Amino acid sequence: MLTRDVIRRLLSYALDDKRLVLITVLLLMVATGAGVAGPYLIKIFIDDYLVPGNWSLLPIFSLAILYSLANVIAAWLGYQESLRLNRIAQAVVLRLRENIFSHLLRMPLKRFDHVPVGSLISRVTNDTEAVKDLFVGVLGVYLKNTIRIIGIFIMMAIMNWRLMLICLLFLPFVIAVMILYRRLSTPIFHHARELLAQINASLNESIQGVRVAQLFNKERDFAQRFHTLSSAHFLARKKTMQMDALLLRPMVDFLYLLTLAGLLYYFGLNHQNLGIEVGVLYAFLNYLGQFTEPLIEMTQRLNLFQQSTVSAGRVFQWLDQEAEIEQGNVKLKFQQGALEFNQVNFSYDQKKDVLKNISFAVPAGSFTGIVGHSGSGKSTIANLLMRFYQPGSGEIHLAENKFQDYPQQEIRSNFAMVQQESFLFRGSIADNIDMGRGLGEQRLRWAASMAGINEFIETLPEKYHSELAERGANLSAGQRQLISLARALAGKPALLILDEATANVDSASELKVQQAISKLHGEMTVIAIAHRLSTITHADQIVVMHQGEIVQRGQHQHLLAEEGLYQHLYQLQFHLSDLFEENSQPAESVEAPTNSLLK
Amino acid sequence: MQLLRELSWYFKQQRWRYISAMLMLTAVAFLNLLPPWITGTLVDEALAGTLNSSRLLSLVGSIAVTGLCIYVLRYFWRLSLYSASYQLGALLRQQLHDRLIYQQPDYFRKHHTGDLMARATNDVMAVEMSAGEAVLALFDGLLTGIIVVGVLFLLVDWRLTLIALLPWPFMAYGFWRVNSQLHDAFVLAQGRFGQLNDQVQEHISGLRLIKAFGIEKRAEEDFSRDAIAASDANMAVAGAEAKYEPVIIITMGASFLLAVGGGAWLIHLEQFTVGELTRFTLYLGQLIWPMFAYGWLLNLLKRGTVSYQRIQEVLQAPSEIENCGEKPLKRDADIRWQIENFRYPDTEKNVLSDFSGELRPKQMLAIVGPTGSGKSTFLQLLLRFYESEGVNIQLGGFCLHDYSLEDLHQHFAVVPQEPFLFSTSIAENIRLGKADASDEEVKQAAKLAVLHEDIMTFPDAYNTEVGERGVTLSGGQKQRLSIARALLKDAPVLVLDDALSAVDVATEQKILQHLRAQRGDRAMIIVCHRLTAVEHADEIVVLRQGQALERGEHAQLMVQNGWYAEAYRYQQIEQAVAEGR
Repeated sequence: MLTRDVIRRLLSYALDDKRLVLITVLLLMVATGAGVAGPYLIKIFIDDYLVPGNWSLLPIFSLAILYSLANVIAAWLGYQESLRLNRIAQAVVLRLRENIFSHLLRMPLKRFDHVPVGSLISRVTNDTEAVKDLFVGVLGVYLKNTIRIIGIFIMMAIMNWRLMLICLLFLPFVIAVMILYRRLSTPIFHHARELLAQINASLNESIQGVRVAQLFNKERDFAQRFHTLSSAHFLARKKTMQMDALLLRPMVDFLYLLTLAGLLYYFGLNHQNLGIEVGVLYAFLNYLGQFTEPLIEMTQRLNLFQQSTVSAGRVFQWLDQEAEIEQGNVKLKFQQGALEFNQVNFSYDQKKDVLKNISFAVPAGSFTGIVGHSGSGKSTIANLLMRFYQPGSGEIHLAENKFQDYPQQEIRSNFAMVQQESFLFRGSIADNIDMGRGLGEQRLRWAASMAGINEFIETLPEKYHSELAERGANLSAGQRQLISLARALAGKPALLILDEATANVDSASELKVQQAISKLHGEMTVIAIAHRLSTITHADQIVVMHQGEIVQRGQHQHLLAEEGLYQHLYQLQFHLSDLFEENSQPAESVEAPTNSLLK
Repeated sequence: MQLLRELSWYFKQQRWRYISAMLMLTAVAFLNLLPPWITGTLVDEALAGTLNSSRLLSLVGSIAVTGLCIYVLRYFWRLSLYSASYQLGALLRQQLHDRLIYQQPDYFRKHHTGDLMARATNDVMAVEMSAGEAVLALFDGLLTGIIVVGVLFLLVDWRLTLIALLPWPFMAYGFWRVNSQLHDAFVLAQGRFGQLNDQVQEHISGLRLIKAFGIEKRAEEDFSRDAIAASDANMAVAGAEAKYEPVIIITMGASFLLAVGGGAWLIHLEQFTVGELTRFTLYLGQLIWPMFAYGWLLNLLKRGTVSYQRIQEVLQAPSEIENCGEKPLKRDADIRWQIENFRYPDTEKNVLSDFSGELRPKQMLAIVGPTGSGKSTFLQLLLRFYESEGVNIQLGGFCLHDYSLEDLHQHFAVVPQEPFLFSTSIAENIRLGKADASDEEVKQAAKLAVLHEDIMTFPDAYNTEVGERGVTLSGGQKQRLSIARALLKDAPVLVLDDALSAVDVATEQKILQHLRAQRGDRAMIIVCHRLTAVEHADEIVVLRQGQALERGEHAQLMVQNGWYAEAYRYQQIEQAVAEGR
């Protein structure tokens, strides 16, 4: 994205509140006017009263009052203007952040398959923060200083345009220095930053790999490498500093003194024949001192400008990616939770098929279990059902109609899912079950009792209003998962999907999940994708998957009786799952383990 | 100020840079007095009509020459002063790195990478500024202040000086106030920014759930709340920053008013001239910096002090393991251990107890057992990452601490549980085992670790960079590289610490076969999960809760029909399941 486009787009954000921008610019102009009036007032005093020896007190006193007033106005309005400028910038950043965040929430999930979370976070926070720097540190500074310099030159021209022209000579030189600085310092500056990044990476690596380094007796080599980097960084920074010293403050100050010399020379030569008053010189000296600082500031901000436009460009690029396509025939209403998979194929990367010709039917109100080893594709089925992804080929039917013809909202309000990782937000337990749906306390309580967590919640000091720690850290894994289940049930969905929901919970909690499922049997269609077989032994049908294919199906007793994958999975879990975990409790099985199977 | 005293060792070390910087700063401070002085003279002479063109030229010329001198001196004092401070930064970073690279594993158990990195970046930066900007603010701020006020007082007019300086303490106070407000606001803003980061992280991790419940709105509200809080905190920073200018404008305005008023009165009394008044106001402008310097200095030192402490904490942390053994270590030393009990520092539970045994040259020892049974801990003790009274490990008849750590590490080629790759090329990573290994040797090691063919598929084969700038290796590839590295290191004992967990069964078998065939006179200790990998060991020890419950050869253990036999059968079913049977 071109720098110009980025800036234009950012400005369009800033112009959102046109009134605020207008007021800010007005304040800026008035403040500048008041600021440049001061030296002019002193000039009047010197030329009209001091030099001629005109000591009439009233006008002198008025001048003093005016002068004070001008200063107070300049200070106050300058402050107000500064605050507003920041407010504009903050509003832009806030809007940009909210936009990119909502955009993120509405991106198709497959977009996230290959993007590390860290870089996403960076987009939302760091890059937008850089936009603030661009507004306040670059655009704001440039606007303010340009107006101030123009104001000063206008006042100079009013007093004496010839002297003004001498001061104007100052500008092309400073601009030349700015361009030169930018050209020379940018590569050096980037080099130094690059080296710093390398230093940090190297140190990080030394810390992470300290054991390996020690075991291979490489401490000295690593130290050597780090010292080399660190010395190179030192030299690079020294260069940037030299560049700053050559072309920034010392240089601009030097140019200032040259201009001063020119001004004085012209004054000394011509003050008598052209009648340049000493007050005018006084005012000019004052003004000259006022614009060196802004120019130095502007030169220094050039580097920042480049960095922040790059960041802003990245933000816009992300915003320009298409969001989730709303699909489905809007009129189609959800009726009942009867599902049918018909020859469904799916692949995440278009290379390796994760689901191959999957067909099975789930009658409304029934309980289906899907099992298989890791990588068998069972979780992909949940992803398709929640419409996080679309099937590659084949069809899914929901009560007579094609699944994809239903509007998104219709699906998501009638389907509920509990995932392997329970995910609790900051807030109270009630908040976490309700999830902003406004379901009412009655319903929350019902859902919690169905999930078997009501009793526990009632023992808490603040019951449903107890605040959860970050990610529910003050609850056990099982309790967290039961709250997730309550959250799913609270919406009274027609179809409940449990995606490895019992993988990490204790047996007591797992039992509660089982009980909830049996209580809901007939009313709610349940599809449980389970690693833990005890969760699904009561299922109406069990689908056994291996590498994307259905290899067995039937009821528990039937599958257990036949030699095959299900039987082996069952043996693994019910007899020996505690072999490899020290201190873990053996999984309580629903049925007594039959040891004979092993021998 | 305390900090500057603590840094005095560095100031002494760099005394020439500091002294020359200070001399040049002093020269600049004096030279800065000239332009206003000359201007005043020129104005007076022009008004009196005594100014001829050659005099004018010499006055103006001297301003230009002064300007040039100041320019040159300013360049060089910056060079001296900032070279010194930047070098301190580089030095502290190096010291931190060197300290950490020799630090024991237990230290890293207690100190997280993020925290250590923060010390090497932000804290070093703060100390660096104390040795550069703070020294400047202290020295130049004070010097400029004293010189300018002195000149005004002694050479211009002391009465006018007293009057015109009346508002200035207000500026110093104002700057100080604004500075500390800014500091507090900044700390708050950083905290809020961190919170926002967490919030985004939380929501991105929970994206599926958010979508599943269709609660994007709620997530947005949550996010907005934190984003607004961050924005407010930023506004507070901006609000504090915006106060600098009004403070300057008000103080300078008042001071100018008093100066011009008082000056005019003196001119009226014919004790002062217009030129002198011009000179006076130009000097006033030079006093802004000393006023600013004062508040800035306090702030820099405040931050620097905390940071320097944090850096020293790392540098002065003691080593738990002493490295003073000197005995020569023989290649064919046998290993004997007697562990009464061992627990990690600051913990209650014994990780190992009543475990003893021996390993003779060329033998293969396997240690198996559930997760957390103490297998890896035993290896850590063997490598002397930890020491304890109840642990007695002898190597060639002497205690571990009778040897230097370097020799001890040289004695073992370890493939750790979590393989670690450095961001250099594949070949360099393997060469860690033997710095002067030929390309052929590297290739040979890779072949033994069944990695060569994988490497050949990478864009630059052995020269492919690892990590961010190159390829990302899979867990299994990393483990195999780690094995190749250890094989290249010609150490008498090869240690595999659960080093094949991410490798598939067939490849594992191949690697083990290579190891058996190629290990020569090397002894081998293998800790692992998959029991098929240890079938050929001379001794298999089953650790459970830190105790050796079963030990012997494969066949014996199968007959015993204990944990080993049961786990072995379990893994056979597991294999069947993995194959879809």
